[in-house]
Amino acid sequence: MDLSIFIQLIVLGLVRGSMYALMGVGLSLIFGIMEIVNFAHGELFMIGCYIMYFMAAMLGLPFPLGILASGVGLLIVGVILEKGLISPLRKKAGREWLMDSFVLTIGLMVIFQNLALIIFGSVQRGIPYLVAGQSTFGDVVFIYDHLVILSLAFLTVGLLWYFIKYTSLGKAIRATSQHSEAAQTLGIDVSRMYAVAFGIGAALAGISGALLITLFPANPNAGMGPVLKSFVVVILGGLGNIKGAIAAGILVGLLEAFAVFYLAGGWQNVIVFSVVIAVLVFKPAGLFAPAGERP
Amino acid sequence: MNILASPQRGMNTSRYIKLALVLAFLIAVPWLWRENRFITTVFISALMFGIWGVMYDLQIGYGGLINFGFAGFICAGAYGSALAAHHYEINPWFCLLIGAVASGLLGFLTGIVTLRLKGIFVGLATWFLAEVLRLTISNTPEYTRGMLGLAVKPLPDVFGLDFSRAALLPYYYLLLILVIIIFAMAALMVNSKIGLSFKAIREDQLATETLGLSTTKYKLINFTTACFFTGLIGAFYAHYIGILTPDPTEFGVPRTVEVLTVAYVGGRGTLWGSILAAFLLIGFQEYFRQLGAWRLVMYGALLITVMIYAPKGLSTIRKYIW
Repeated sequence: MDLSIFIQLIVLGLVRGSMYALMGVGLSLIFGIMEIVNFAHGELFMIGCYIMYFMAAMLGLPFPLGILASGVGLLIVGVILEKGLISPLRKKAGREWLMDSFVLTIGLMVIFQNLALIIFGSVQRGIPYLVAGQSTFGDVVFIYDHLVILSLAFLTVGLLWYFIKYTSLGKAIRATSQHSEAAQTLGIDVSRMYAVAFGIGAALAGISGALLITLFPANPNAGMGPVLKSFVVVILGGLGNIKGAIAAGILVGLLEAFAVFYLAGGWQNVIVFSVVIAVLVFKPAGLFAPAGERP
Repeated sequence: MNILASPQRGMNTSRYIKLALVLAFLIAVPWLWRENRFITTVFISALMFGIWGVMYDLQIGYGGLINFGFAGFICAGAYGSALAAHHYEINPWFCLLIGAVASGLLGFLTGIVTLRLKGIFVGLATWFLAEVLRLTISNTPEYTRGMLGLAVKPLPDVFGLDFSRAALLPYYYLLLILVIIIFAMAALMVNSKIGLSFKAIREDQLATETLGLSTTKYKLINFTTACFFTGLIGAFYAHYIGILTPDPTEFGVPRTVEVLTVAYVGGRGTLWGSILAAFLLIGFQEYFRQLGAWRLVMYGALLITVMIYAPKGLSTIRKYIW
């Protein structure tokens, strides 16, 4: 294979992969800390798209402001959802929490999708580029937009990493995810941690939506594709495993870029999903879990 | 969960009368309004979603099995039957059975594959299995006609009854008979030793195993039975609707969510709640067609309300009506 095509596919794969990683990290964070399989994650992504469109295309503001607004907006949405719906459910649900919370997020998905349809119609609202232009090195074309997406995605993951690892709030969140009762006895306000975690997970989805608006224009169903991919990513990486989600995200992005090049259209998803089923059956804790570990 | 001391079990005279009234309603209404095709189509949809809800309930409410690929089993039944009729000239009446067996077999295999998985992981695995099936159908247009749509023959006439596309009533009564049989079998099953085992596994798998019950066996029974009947109604659906496409709204997540909503709103672990919920939800949805997307917003809101405030769904009203 031609080296320039190879590099091109790597770049394309990294761009997609970094987005899947961002979505997957949010999903994994929410699962790891709250044990919620958030099926409405794609709709949070979709809201992010709309906020970005509103800020950048309608108000004409510079795109970093749009991304910031999507992140902050979804953080607020996430905290409201947690306080208003998820927290009351947690007080009632017992052993069936996993399933009950999953069904709750299905309800949220249906509501968001159809509200978006009512408010904005089914029109696709996209932005052609965040940063115009491209440059060529030999035969390889670097579209500036892709580089912006890639670097901002890595920046976001890096910031999240710093936050979780080194700030006291991040440490409190990790403590809650490891053992919520023990965290509580140490004086950590666990219910606040849940709200913060859901908010951050939602913000990550919103930032992905905002960054990807040039590839996925805002429309009521914009979240359907990304949510499927982010579930693929978190299953491969192991539900709740944040490092795993980053690695699996990039892996899936790269695989997809090469699969699109080599395989006929519709089959690539069949192959990816079959791999996912195999991982679920043989290594349900994810590809990167120690051998024999089961959730 | 109090399984044994349930004072409401059993039938008495007043309950037989109520049951007869319900059946009379189901038999008479489409007949009385037979000039109005719309009423019959609404009743057909409600019965189909009702019995799918019952099968969903058999899995989640009794077996504790999360089947998030439910639409895939409808799909297996529908395409199994339609392809057999299309390619091999088999009598469509027999194809109904082929569809049911195809779906039941898929259910059995799914059960085996997901045996070691717990809770939500079963849901995720079934979801991806259903997507693989749907995408495979849409990728093989030379055999299944994919997104072009597979035309399905109507059922041939029997006993002088006209099952052509124009005749809705025979389809309705056929469906009603199927629904009564399936419901009766499901009710017998959950009230038998098998049903008790389902409940025991749902409540505590480990404890059940220590009592010497094979969770493997009962999970497989549950998966296979529910999927067999789901596929049977899916096969009926294929011949009734006349054209199949592997579209997400038809055989993807939205369809699963519809059935799941019926089962949850009806009340898990009741069977009959799903039928009631289907008639209310489908009736509501058809009556308020002009609401457009709002009715789906209400579906979502209803689902959330049920989850937070009424986990038993409509079945809480049982003490007032039964």
